[in-house]
Amino acid sequence: MEELKIIPDLKQNIKKIRELSGNSSDILVNEFYAGGIHCALLCCEGMLSVSIITELVLEPITHIPQKNDIHELFRHIQDRLLLSTDRPTAEDYNTLFRLLHSGFAVLLGDGIDKALAFGVQGYFSRGIQEPSGEGNIMGAHEGFIENVRTNMSQIRRRLKTPDLVMELFVRGEKSKTDMCLCYMKDRVPAKLMEKIRSSLDDIELESILSTGYIQPFVESNRFELFSSTGTTERPDVLCSRLIEGRVAILIDGVPFAVVIPKLFCESFQTLDDYSFKPYYSTFIRWIKYGAFIISILLPAVYAAIVMYHPELLNSTLLMLLVESEKKAPLSIVTEVTGVLLMYEIIREAGIRLPKPVGGAVSIVSGLIIGDAAVNSGLISTPLLTITALAVISGYVVPELNAPMTVLRFAFLLAAGIFGLFGISLLACAVLVNICATEDYGFPYTAPLSPFSKRGLSDTAVRTGMKKMQKRGFTVEEYHE
Amino acid sequence: MNEITRSQLAAMLLITDAFALFCFTGSISLMTVAGLSAGILLQMALAVPLIKLGGIKVRAAYFFYLIYLIMWGGLLLEMQWKTSKHIYIPYENSAGIWGKLLISGLIAAVCLYISSAGIKAMGRASVIAAFIGAICLLIAAVSGISHLDPENFSRAESGRTLTEELITGFAVSGGTGSLAILLGITKGRSLKNVSLYFIGKGILTAAVTLTAVSVAGGIMEITDFPVVTAAQVSQPFSSQRIDSLFLIVFAIFAVFSIAVQTAASAYVLGELFPKFVRFRSSVSLLLIIGAAFLLWKIPLNSGIIGIGAIIALFVIPFIVLIFKSLGMRKGRVQ
Repeated sequence: MEELKIIPDLKQNIKKIRELSGNSSDILVNEFYAGGIHCALLCCEGMLSVSIITELVLEPITHIPQKNDIHELFRHIQDRLLLSTDRPTAEDYNTLFRLLHSGFAVLLGDGIDKALAFGVQGYFSRGIQEPSGEGNIMGAHEGFIENVRTNMSQIRRRLKTPDLVMELFVRGEKSKTDMCLCYMKDRVPAKLMEKIRSSLDDIELESILSTGYIQPFVESNRFELFSSTGTTERPDVLCSRLIEGRVAILIDGVPFAVVIPKLFCESFQTLDDYSFKPYYSTFIRWIKYGAFIISILLPAVYAAIVMYHPELLNSTLLMLLVESEKKAPLSIVTEVTGVLLMYEIIREAGIRLPKPVGGAVSIVSGLIIGDAAVNSGLISTPLLTITALAVISGYVVPELNAPMTVLRFAFLLAAGIFGLFGISLLACAVLVNICATEDYGFPYTAPLSPFSKRGLSDTAVRTGMKKMQKRGFTVEEYHE
Repeated sequence: MNEITRSQLAAMLLITDAFALFCFTGSISLMTVAGLSAGILLQMALAVPLIKLGGIKVRAAYFFYLIYLIMWGGLLLEMQWKTSKHIYIPYENSAGIWGKLLISGLIAAVCLYISSAGIKAMGRASVIAAFIGAICLLIAAVSGISHLDPENFSRAESGRTLTEELITGFAVSGGTGSLAILLGITKGRSLKNVSLYFIGKGILTAAVTLTAVSVAGGIMEITDFPVVTAAQVSQPFSSQRIDSLFLIVFAIFAVFSIAVQTAASAYVLGELFPKFVRFRSSVSLLLIIGAAFLLWKIPLNSGIIGIGAIIALFVIPFIVLIFKSLGMRKGRVQ
C-alpha cells in the first residue's frame, strides 16, 4: 500500500479506498460539490468532533466560490482558508489511511492525485486523573492518560522552554501507533539520541499496545533482572527526569512514559521526598532501602537461621521460635513457600477480578484462610508474620515488585538447601547481574558503583534544595 | 571500552588478598604482622617499574601472567576446599567428598557467571562486596578488641624469622598478577591507582592479622586457620554467636577472588588469541580447576609462591621496561 499513489479520478479513488479498507463500516465518505468541483470528505466514525468539522471545515468549504479546476480549489483551501491548525497532505494511500484513522478529515477532489487532511480529532478519551500506581501527597494529582497529544501538552505545560523537543513518529505495522520522543536538546548528547533513534528503528512489531512492547528494544540484550528503563505515569516526575538529561518515549494509548536511562536508586525516590524536610526524606529513603532488603531476604534469612544457624538468635527468641515451629507439620521452607505462593495467588486474583469481588477475595484470604491456617497449626505465627512483613515491604518500592517477588523465592530455595552460604552465593550472582545492567553507557548502579560522591547527595541522603540547585545534576555525569 | 576505576581495581585486589588471609595456615604472631606489613612496603617499592609501564601490555609477557593467574586461581580454589571444612557450610554431606564437590562446584558456577559478565561489571560489584565485607570484618575486629587480652600478643608465636615472614607476605600476595594485568585497563594515573591498593592492603592486613593475634593468640598453636578461628572466637554479644556471619564474608570473598583470576586470565587469553572470543571464561575456569588439582600439596604461604609474586610484580615489568627503553633509544638513533 506504501507505493500506491492516490488516483486522480474521484470515483476510482473512492472505489480504491473502499477496496483497501475492506468496505469497513467506520469509513464515512461524503461526496459534495465545492466551488463547483466534485469532492469527497472522508472521515472515520467516532474519531472526530462533529461540531468542529461542521463549524471549521464543512461550513467554509461549501461556501467557496466557483473555481476553474480542482488545483485552483485546493490552492484556495490551502492558502486562503485556515480550516484547522494541523493540515497535512497525503499523496499515497498509506498516509491517507494513517491520517484517516488518526481522526483527520480527508478531502479528495476529482482530478487531483493528492488529498488534504484537517486535524479535527475529537474521539472520546479518559479525562486526566490521579495516577493509580504512583501515589503522592504534596505534588500534583495529574497523571498521564491514553492520548499522546494530551500527555505532550501536560509536559509542555510544565516545561515551557524551547529546549524541550518532542518528536512525533509512528511505529507498528498494523497499529500505526503515534509515539513521541521527548528530550531536552541542551542536556542530551546528540550521539545518545542517535543511538536511541537507531534502537527504535529496529521495531518491526505489528502493534504497540503497552510500554513493554518497546522497552526490550531500548534495553541491553543480556539477561537483566532489573529493568534499565523506567516507566512513570506522572508528568511531573517525567519533567524532573527530562531536566536531568534523560529521554522519554510517550506511546499513544498508553498512560505511561518510558524513561531512558533508569538508575537503581531512582526506584527509591518519589516526588514527595522533595516536598518534605530533608531529614525526614532521608529517613524515609532509608526505610525504603531497608524494606527492599527485607522484602527479598527476610523469609530466606529466617529459614536459614532457624534451619541451620540457630546460634545467631538469642536464647529467648530461639525458644519462642522452637515452641511455635514444633507444632507445625511441614518443614520451614515448605511452609514459607506455601504462604508466599498462596499470597501470590490471592494477589493475582485480587488484580484480575472485578473490584467488588476483589475486596471479597481479600477478606476471605486474609481473615479466613490466614486465621484458619494458624489456628489449625498448619503455619506458625512467627513465620506468617515474617512472610507478611516481607510481602508488605515489597510494596514500599512498587516499581521493583516483580523482580523482588521472584528473587524472594530464589533466595528462599537457596537458604533452604545451603543456609547462609546459599544466600551468599546467590547474592553474589544477583549483585553482578545488577552491576552488569547498563544501557547506552549508563550504569544502573550509579552513583553507588561506579562511586560518585556528588551523586550520594540525592541517594544516601536528600540534601536541601539550595544545595541541589548549585549541583545542577544531569545523568551524563554517570556516563561511562 | 572495558575500563575500570581506581576503587574498582583496589576492591577486586583487596578481596583476593583478604581471602588469601582467611586461608592463611600456620601461626600468626606480631612478627608475622611486622613481616607482612614490611612485605607490603617492599611490594610497593618493587611496583615502580609496573607503575612506569602503566600495566603489562606485552604479548610475550602475557604467557607468564596467564600461567600465573591460573596457578593463583587454582591455589585459591584449593584453599577454599581445605578451609571449607573449618567453616560450617550447612549441607547434609558438606563434610564428605561429594558435599565438598558440590560446594566447590557451586562456587565455580557462580565464578563463571561473574567472570563472564565482564571485568567492568565485576569491578562494580566488587566495590559493593568489599564494602559489605569491610563492615563484617569491622564487626569482628571491634568484638575482638572488646575482648582483647594483651597477653595473647606475647603468647602467639609463629616460629618464623622476619625474612621468612617477609616471604610469607609475598606468598599471600598472589593478587600481584591481577594487578599487573588489570592496571593496564584502569582509568587514571598508575601511581595513584597502585597507591590506593597498597594503602588498602596495608590497613586490611594489619587489621586482620592483629585481630587474629589478639583473639586467637593463646590458641594459635592448635589452630589450622588462625583468621577463621579468630572470627569464630570473637563474639560481640554475650547471649548469641555471630560466627555464621563470617561464612557470608568467606563465601562472597571466595567467589569474587576466584572470579577475578578467571576474568583476568580470560582477558589475557583474549589478548593472546584475539580470534578466541567465546567461552574464554569457561576455559579459564577449567584451567584453574585443573591447576587446583595440580597444586594440591602446595600450601598457600610457601616460598615458591612468593617468588612467583616477585616475578609478576617486579621481574617481568622490569625486563619489559628495559626492553621498552632500549627500543625507544634505538628508534631515536635511527
